[in-house]
Parts: sequence; structure tokens; C-alpha cells
Amino acid sequence: MLHKLMTKPHDPTAHEPTADDAGTDGAAIVPFPVDAGRTEENDSAAHETQLLVRVRDQRDRNAYQALFGLFAGKVQGYLRRTGIDPADAENILQDIMLAVWQKANLFDPQRASARTWIFSLARNRLIDIKRSLKREYAALERYSLETADDQVYEEDMLARAAGGKSVALLAHLPPEQASVLLMAYVEGKSHREIALELKLPIGTVKSRARLGFQRVRALLEQAK
Amino acid sequence: MSVTRHPDSAWLIDYACGNLSRGFELVISAHLMACAVCTEEVRRAEQLGAELLFGGQPAAPKLTAVDVLDAEGGDLSWLTARFALRPAVGTTSLQAFVDSYLDCGLSALPWRKAGRGLQVAKLRADEHERLWVLRAAPNTVLPRHTHAGSELTLVLKGAYFNGDTIYAAGDLEDANETTDHQPIVTRDAECICLAATEGPLRFASWAPRLVQRYLGI
Ligand SMILES: [Zn+2]
Repeated sequence: MLHKLMTKPHDPTAHEPTADDAGTDGAAIVPFPVDAGRTEENDSAAHETQLLVRVRDQRDRNAYQALFGLFAGKVQGYLRRTGIDPADAENILQDIMLAVWQKANLFDPQRASARTWIFSLARNRLIDIKRSLKREYAALERYSLETADDQVYEEDMLARAAGGKSVALLAHLPPEQASVLLMAYVEGKSHREIALELKLPIGTVKSRARLGFQRVRALLEQAK
Repeated sequence: MSVTRHPDSAWLIDYACGNLSRGFELVISAHLMACAVCTEEVRRAEQLGAELLFGGQPAAPKLTAVDVLDAEGGDLSWLTARFALRPAVGTTSLQAFVDSYLDCGLSALPWRKAGRGLQVAKLRADEHERLWVLRAAPNTVLPRHTHAGSELTLVLKGAYFNGDTIYAAGDLEDANETTDHQPIVTRDAECICLAATEGPLRFASWAPRLVQRYLGI
């Protein structure tokens, strides 16, 4: 099925071709450099998953401590980059890491790796918080100044997504696709909100998200 | 159930990132219950999230593993039903969705007539979105309409045509302001759909407009 997903565009009937499609569809996929670092990366993903399975099946406190050591700093880093206040981030981190311990029975390694599962836990925690803050954010955005220099803006977002690997992944994308993915993942904006902010037709934003995602996904798959 | 009509990847990325409002999130969740292809796509979008957002400079939290292990209880009510109960594809059905999310039989919904052969029940409405269930008798021709924003329609039961395309149970129609359509229910069975819309629908003829004003859709 993965093969099918990668070679066939995701439901080509679901959208109308746009100028944006024409501009980027033909571009060649730049191969992601597959090096020793990536193999190590995969080993560590497998190790994380084993630890979480031990937590789930044996309530293994040592495995939990090892997992905590691997993820607490990463989760906290992620929370901080989404713009959450440091004091709040510490509390939210506690909620997330508590769920890792108490809800490990929900983890299914067939469906996700440990890091993907922990990401989706963290994302769930953030949804709640974001919804309660939504009104506040909306008010802030209304009064924030328009960014004069888009280039500076994009670099700032890349810095917030931070980390050599993630930037390396997105560096393979045309900048307009990379920035749509960054706005979705880092700033937590829906494709509708992105369209409004960039003053683009909704179809253009959807194409950019879809094409960027397809390409990054292919790169992740290649690196395995 | 074989699902052939899927939402654009942009919806699934937003779902994975938690960027959707509740109504749209609910429609996507319901589609995922029936669709292995989109479930896999969401998993990949989450995988990308982990790569992108855990890849940066880690922070140095004061919290320790022992603090967590020694904590008594703790509030995990934020762990939503979506996460905790996320079912494996194929183990559930849209009927299970109707039972668990709507928490009542379809007949108990607050139905209102909305023209010949059509009933609607509004589940949720705020300044940004509406969520409703539509129930149309066989052969019903729905008013032709365009949209002020996005509209996701998930077929729970039966089927309808839009032009040459058929949408059957589990299929999701992804429409927006560039779409002008007129759904027609197939002749063999009633059709029940769950729909989320952004902004009011724009009907092409004047008669449904009165219905629209009356119903607040
Ligand atoms: Zn699907």
C-alpha cells in the first residue's frame, strides 16, 4: 500500500489543477542524502519503540526513565518553539509525559513509532490549549504588523522549526511549499488560515501543502 | 466498505497538526474510521511532525522522570476520545461512529424539513462553522449551491451523484468556494450525510434562500 501511495498522487480527482500545480509538478525530486547518520537514526527509532513497549507491557520504570531522557527535552523544545511561555511549557510537558506513562496501553507499534505516538500526544495536548487561547490569538493577530520582508519571516520560521535534519528535509522543497508546511506544523495554521494570511486562493495553498507533503514523504521513505 | 473519494491531503495534514475546528475535525475523524488510505496518510503526516518538531534544539526541563512516576493520579481529561479511542480501520463502522459521536439514534436528532424530500439537523454552529446531518429521500434533487468557504460532506448511508461522480457510504466530498454543485440522491435508498461548512451556503436560485434564512444554514 505504501508503494501505491507514493507512486499515485493522492486522489487526483479531489482537486482542480491550478497554475501552481503546473509550475511545480514537473520539477524533479532531489534525492535525500542517505548516509550513516540516517541508519543510526532508524536504529534509535526502533530502540525508542522497544522502550515504550516495555513501559506498556511490563510497567518498566527503567525503560520509562530512558524514554523520558530521550524525549522530555525534545518535547519541551517543541512546546517552546510553538511560542508557549516557558513556565507553562513545563506544566504541559508534565501532562504529556504523564500520559506516556499512564496511557502506554494505547500504544500500538504497528500503527506508529514511539516518537510519532508521543508527537500525537503532544499535539493533542496543544489542541486543547490552542482552542482556549484562540480568541486571544485572533485579537493579537489583528493588531500585529504585517511583515515587510517575507524572506526574513521564512528564515525566522526555519529557525523556529530548527534542527539540521528538519531544515535539510524542507530545503529540498520549493520555498513556497516549505513555508506552507512550516505554517501548518510550526504555527499551527489551517490551510484556510494560511490562504487568508498569504492572500492566496484556497486551491493554491492546498496544492502547495499536498505537493510539499508528497515530496517530503518520499524523501523520508527513501531514507529508510 | 470500499472508499474511493478522499479529502485533499491538506485536510489530513491539518488534522494531524490539530489545526481544524471541531466540526471539520469530526467529519475527518468519521471518514478515517472507514478509510485505510487516509489513516495511513495521517500517520505519515504525524511522522513528518515528529521529524520536524522534535528535530530541533532540545530544551532542558527541570522536570524529571521520577517526578512523573511519583505523581499521584493527574488529570488526563484532555486526552480526547479521538486519541484514546482511535479505532483500527475495519474494526468499526460508520454506524459505530453515529452511536458514539452523536450519542443517540438518528431518529432522535432535531430534524427540520428543508424542502421536498430533505431534512436537516443542525448539530453545531458558531461564527466560523456549522455541522449538520442531512437526510434525503431517494431521488431527491438538492438545491444547486455554491459555497462561501469549505464544505466537507461525508456519506453515512446511501449514495448521491454530483454530476458523473457518485459518493457512497464512507466517501467524502471536498468542496469550497470554487465548487458549484447540485447533489442528486440515488433512486434506490435514502441518503444520510454528515456535513461541515464554513460560512453560509450560497444557493443559486431565490427559493432556497428563504429556506436558508429560515433554517439559519
Ligand atoms: Zn480516505
